[in-house]
Amino acid sequence: MARLELDDVRKVFTDDDGSDIVAVDDVTVDIEDGDFLVLVGPSGCGKSTTLRMVAGLETVTDGDIRLGGRSIVGQKPQDRDIAMVFQSYALYPHMTTRENMSFGLEESTDMADAEIDERVENAADLLDIPELLDRKPSELSGGQQQRVALGRAIVREPEVFLMDEPLSNLDAKLRSQMRTELQRIQEDLGTTTVYVTHDQTEAMTMGDRIAILDGGELQQVGTPLECYHRPANHFVAGFIGEPAMNFFDATVEGDRLVTDRFEYPLTADMREAVEGADGVTLGVRPEDIEVTADGPASDDDEFDTVVDVVEPMGNENAVYLGFEADSRDTFVATVGGMRRIDAGESVVARFPSDAVHLFDAASGDALHNRSLEDAADTEPRI
Amino acid sequence: MSDARHDESDPTDSAGGTDGLADRLRDDLAGLDGYRVALYATILTMTVFFLTPIESGLVTAFKTNPEGISSTLPFAPPPPQFFTLEKWQTAMAALGRGMVNSALYAVPATILSALLGSFAAYGLTQADWRARYKAPVLTMLVAGIFIPYQAVLVPLSQFWGAMPLQELLTPLWVLGVPEAYTGLVELTITHVAYGIPICMVLFRSYYRNVSEEMIEAARLDGATFRRVYRRIVFPISTPMFAVVLIYQFTQIWNDLLFALILVSTESSPAAPVVLILAGLGESMEGQDFALRMAGAFIAALPTLIVYIMFGEEFAEGVAT
Repeated sequence: MARLELDDVRKVFTDDDGSDIVAVDDVTVDIEDGDFLVLVGPSGCGKSTTLRMVAGLETVTDGDIRLGGRSIVGQKPQDRDIAMVFQSYALYPHMTTRENMSFGLEESTDMADAEIDERVENAADLLDIPELLDRKPSELSGGQQQRVALGRAIVREPEVFLMDEPLSNLDAKLRSQMRTELQRIQEDLGTTTVYVTHDQTEAMTMGDRIAILDGGELQQVGTPLECYHRPANHFVAGFIGEPAMNFFDATVEGDRLVTDRFEYPLTADMREAVEGADGVTLGVRPEDIEVTADGPASDDDEFDTVVDVVEPMGNENAVYLGFEADSRDTFVATVGGMRRIDAGESVVARFPSDAVHLFDAASGDALHNRSLEDAADTEPRI
Repeated sequence: MSDARHDESDPTDSAGGTDGLADRLRDDLAGLDGYRVALYATILTMTVFFLTPIESGLVTAFKTNPEGISSTLPFAPPPPQFFTLEKWQTAMAALGRGMVNSALYAVPATILSALLGSFAAYGLTQADWRARYKAPVLTMLVAGIFIPYQAVLVPLSQFWGAMPLQELLTPLWVLGVPEAYTGLVELTITHVAYGIPICMVLFRSYYRNVSEEMIEAARLDGATFRRVYRRIVFPISTPMFAVVLIYQFTQIWNDLLFALILVSTESSPAAPVVLILAGLGESMEGQDFALRMAGAFIAALPTLIVYIMFGEEFAEGVAT
């Protein structure tokens, strides 16, 4: 087990016509020994390429990757002591589960057969698949194949696990089950893990830390709650959280933010933060918006709105609000699932000043993040 | 099941049963539209068209010559007085040594060309090369498919004339193998060289569809490029090997042209079956059709056996 460091890693693909495409742009991440890091971002953001560079399946254009202090750039994949779980599972179809799982040990070590068998059986027990050892992949369900793919990585006892969207081929229920199980296994084994996903729920729930990538560039590295409550920029704020944060473009006029729909009063802190910025984007998370039925709006941070659509989810309702009836221009708020709210109803939405994020409209950088009463409470307990 | 039991318990049902059959027959006939009639007629015609020569050959092989052949229709089975197994025995005696000789080069040439074709395809699909270097190699191999046999006959005999193969194989002659067997070694090498391109193309299309992630997984599992072939790619190409083995074996076994150039005479101790078959049943008195037919069936038997052996994999390989 070891610490994995990515130092200004860059990947440039050269197209057939000679033009360069930067897939990964100077990414620097430190992954502590035993940490679970989730690389998350929209498709095409370079997260898989980054993972493949760590695995040695892609060359590194520039920068360094160190494992346990020594550089692994230029090493062949088979010499890196890294195990990877693929999205398609990539099981060997002509081999039984047992053969699939022992293949890596047979190829990479000169371990005795008995020892390999023991390791395979231990891993099978850990994954709860001992009865599948003599079956071939074609006789296994998707979830079972997933476990075998995982087992194939576990028996190797590698320095690092790399996982490339391993759960995305599973149905929703199995996925959440495997999510928990993966975390349990990783905790038991204490192996440094890099996990790639495009699903922000997976990122939030699984990672010790998450690294958010967009367009090949690293946007933020932090604990899930850091990224949630203190996003470094507009992109992170919009990407993390479901339903996504609401954004309103605004300009600063004195002590007020002016959008084409409403004006919002700035607190002293905010005023300081937005000083010098021309355009500002106001962000507020759906769950922070307070929706009250008794209108009309009486305060500066309250607005008269009309309910456009209600999406009931049981535990909560996602309510799409417009500033006037039948407006296409809506924002979303979430309210308790037991509360009855109907489309067409007039309600008052309040954006509490302690929940508001402000971003620079040009650069997207966060100028002001929401205030947290007790920061310690928001740190995840690991 | 429950219907059947119900039928038995009901006395009025036997009449109902025949009614049911008539109904079903009527339904089936009603389903026969013009398209179906034409389809079945065509299928039937094609079947007859393809099977008649084989059937005629087979019955002819059991007829006496010339009485049986001249007094019966070609496709009619032999009447008892003209029936004989003698032609099969004669053909077997004449072709026996040729069958062994043919097998001596056809089997190794088939296996070698399939293996080398598979290696080449693996190297051209899964190895990291620059397209700039890969393209000329691929082009040359593909071009190899289109060189007609006739075009290389003269260069081929000159090439083997210049090769000191006979001297190289001296240990064999010392062991008592007739020197004419040099021709079989030449045939083996020629057929391997000629077979690699088509084998490579067949394997290539197969290997291009092999999951890239699986190969990557094997490499991350610590397998070298060679081990990945040995343990992953080779075992999963069984269906394509069946296709290539059947195709190549039939091709090499049936080839007359190279055998004629490199071994040349049927009297040679190394004469392949095709050379002996060419002269079988030919004599001053005319052709012994029964003998020729029996010989043809015996000579074709090994290709049939190979097809049956790999038939299941063949179907799978063709489907991919």
